[in-house]
Amino acid sequence: MSGAMMLAQAGFPAEMGGVTLAHYLLVSVLMFAIGLIGFLTRRNLIVMFLCTELMFQAAGIALVAFSRFHLNMTGQTFVIFVLTVAAAEAAMALALVVLLFRRRESLDADEWQEMKG
Amino acid sequence: MEPIGVCEGAGRRGGARVAEIINPYVLYAMLALGAVGVAIALPRRGVSWQVLGAILGATAIGAILLSLALKTPGQIPNLYFYVFALVAVGGALRVITHPKPVYSALYFILTVIATAGLFLILSAEFMAFALIIVYAGAILITYLFVIMLATQAPTEDDAEVLTEYDTTAREPIVATLSGFVLIAALTTLMFRGVPSLERPAPVTQQLVERMPGKVERFLRNEKLLQPGEKVAVVDGVPQISATTQQITLVGEGGATRTIAWPEGLALDNPERIGWSLLADHPGTIEIAGVILLMAMLGAVVLSRKQVQLDEDAKARMAAGLQKSDKLSTEEVSA
Repeated sequence: MSGAMMLAQAGFPAEMGGVTLAHYLLVSVLMFAIGLIGFLTRRNLIVMFLCTELMFQAAGIALVAFSRFHLNMTGQTFVIFVLTVAAAEAAMALALVVLLFRRRESLDADEWQEMKG
Repeated sequence: MEPIGVCEGAGRRGGARVAEIINPYVLYAMLALGAVGVAIALPRRGVSWQVLGAILGATAIGAILLSLALKTPGQIPNLYFYVFALVAVGGALRVITHPKPVYSALYFILTVIATAGLFLILSAEFMAFALIIVYAGAILITYLFVIMLATQAPTEDDAEVLTEYDTTAREPIVATLSGFVLIAALTTLMFRGVPSLERPAPVTQQLVERMPGKVERFLRNEKLLQPGEKVAVVDGVPQISATTQQITLVGEGGATRTIAWPEGLALDNPERIGWSLLADHPGTIEIAGVILLMAMLGAVVLSRKQVQLDEDAKARMAAGLQKSDKLSTEEVSA
């Protein structure tokens, strides 16, 4: 890891021919779509919330890459707020999941189908 | 007020189409292959083809990354980027395909660490460490606790209980199709140009003008400051000028001297984030604090609430009790 650290401080990646903004955006898009697929397919409530965290993570990569591209700190600052929202979401969602589990003894999202309205 | 943190010489725009970083046909073919792999690898009832799905998915992602690397010749490809990207995306795939929630959470920690590596390459050191501390250290541990709390107790017959809702995916083909169509649409729209990343320097030297303590510490470390010397302050304004590249120092007797801007005097990444956070977005921090407080209160209130088992859940429990007779009613209601 120290090698990557030194590269980061030396202004890596290099200006041209190396990794471009689009590379990072591609990774971000892949990760976001994987999180979306997971959210749609998995039926376990906890894993569904893990997939939303995956999507947060993808948004964070895009934000930091844009921040690096524009040499502007606002993108990185925004990732801090994304982290805040993720932490708040995890606390509330997991408390709800524990409540739902106590009521039905199951984490299946389909158990709560009557809430569709 | 001019936003703090904006650097001179922002990135060069322009460039060519998507074809410059990756062949579009290769990209779309590999995305289709990856979609098939993910659809196969998602947990399903009966015979599992997860190994085949894993091979297909790994081939697709590897080929995308490899063609990314091959399309940008001339310089040694950024090896760290490809390693971290591969680990991050592979870990993410494993999060959504692993049937056991505990392993999903552990693979998510792997993804978080790889993402922190990507942040390091982007010279966002503070965010990398904050990500590991907050995500891997706090959020994922909460997830693990809840997974442990909210799992059915294993019976004596089989210690490894895999519930039906964990082993069966809901609509794997449709979901995978929509996800990968989203990727194709985004990549087509997004990569209109191939902007390269500039070096982080020149960093905001204007901000250093307001930090005489940092300048003194830097000069002392560089052995440029004589004993007893300080940065001169006239009418409360430190005499540090980034425009003229000069710093005025005042000695013990009141004698002043002016030195040129020393090499390497600039803000670190955490210092710049701190300025951006506290100078540009002070209200947002307050709102974030209120959100966290509310979430904490809500979690406390929710988890203290007493709930009873539903009628049909009770009936299911009773049926299970008649079959195995392992659980006592006290355990179920507790």
